[in-house]
Amino acid sequence: MAEPTADLPASLQVFRYTLGDTRVHAVIGELDAGLPQDDLVAHAVEALTRATFMCYAVSQPDDFVADELCFVPQGKRCDILSIRTNGWQRHHGDHRRSLVEILNDLAAAVACGKLRILDDKELIRETRTGKRLLQFAIDDSASLAAAREAVDVVLEESGIDVATRKRTTLCISEAVTNMLLHGGGSGGMTLRRLDDRLRVVVADDGPGLSFLNWIKPPTANGQASMGYGFKIILDYLDAVGLHTGPAGTTLLLDRKTD
Amino acid sequence: MLRTSIDQGPAPTVYLAGEMDLDCADTLREAVTTAAAGAQTVVLDFAGVEFIDSSGTGIFVRLCLDMGSQGTPLIARNLSPAVGGVFDMLRVRELVGDAVFPD
Repeated sequence: MAEPTADLPASLQVFRYTLGDTRVHAVIGELDAGLPQDDLVAHAVEALTRATFMCYAVSQPDDFVADELCFVPQGKRCDILSIRTNGWQRHHGDHRRSLVEILNDLAAAVACGKLRILDDKELIRETRTGKRLLQFAIDDSASLAAAREAVDVVLEESGIDVATRKRTTLCISEAVTNMLLHGGGSGGMTLRRLDDRLRVVVADDGPGLSFLNWIKPPTANGQASMGYGFKIILDYLDAVGLHTGPAGTTLLLDRKTD
Repeated sequence: MLRTSIDQGPAPTVYLAGEMDLDCADTLREAVTTAAAGAQTVVLDFAGVEFIDSSGTGIFVRLCLDMGSQGTPLIARNLSPAVGGVFDMLRVRELVGDAVFPD
């Protein structure tokens, strides 16, 4: 495998194809000039026709580098996840999860319907629906602790059992920690009530989801992240939404209440 | 916020209480370093920990590996349910070795 270079970080890109279209468009990341549009469309149509998740390992010609391409049919549209590790490997002795594991978790979560990748319109709709119960600005671990506690009170008042409450506040901690460490260091958390669920919206205006931090060796003072945060969120919640781009990242964390 | 108290003795013990999240690295490392002076092992007692997330867990794992390589291995005791559940999920035992969890 080629030596990794600093200007080619590992990444997840998501493209979307809607039945009847002739092209795909980007939802996370950007479409490369060298991207073989016709092939992507053909595979997406095949995945939709067969209603089957398809995953390809991709060789690495000079013009288009990806390690995996996953086609996830969802009714009339197909999400295409392009997973690029670009040669980045785990350091020896590094106890964190590998990038490939993390990215594959994301792909699997989209495939099983647990994780929804939101485009701009969906983001606006989904973050305005329901009634706002709480809102916090978060810029440090003290405000994170206060937010955890406040949400726990509302969950308790909603009759949610203690084990579920603990799992939910754990997920909030994971999402907000990601925001503090990688999302520009500050942002907001909102708790909303929808008909059948409580929704926590964690939003920042940082540089967008990136795996750049993952290619640096662990710091001497203790690596604060093991790469498990998103796995915990996906394992413990009923549904998760993700929107990310140069203007920031938003996560929707849904816990059903009925 | 994480609070610590140290019981110095032949087998020094650091009692942990409160919350272990991304904020706990300095507090934990300082307490363990103090307790480790001249000791062969340091016991961490988790009974009072009400909350831990993957950041707190990562900080503990890193410290375990560092202390082990410096010849003063950590022993973890009295995991509260909040801690035990997260450690199981994150397979902490595989990362730091069975010797850290003699119970």
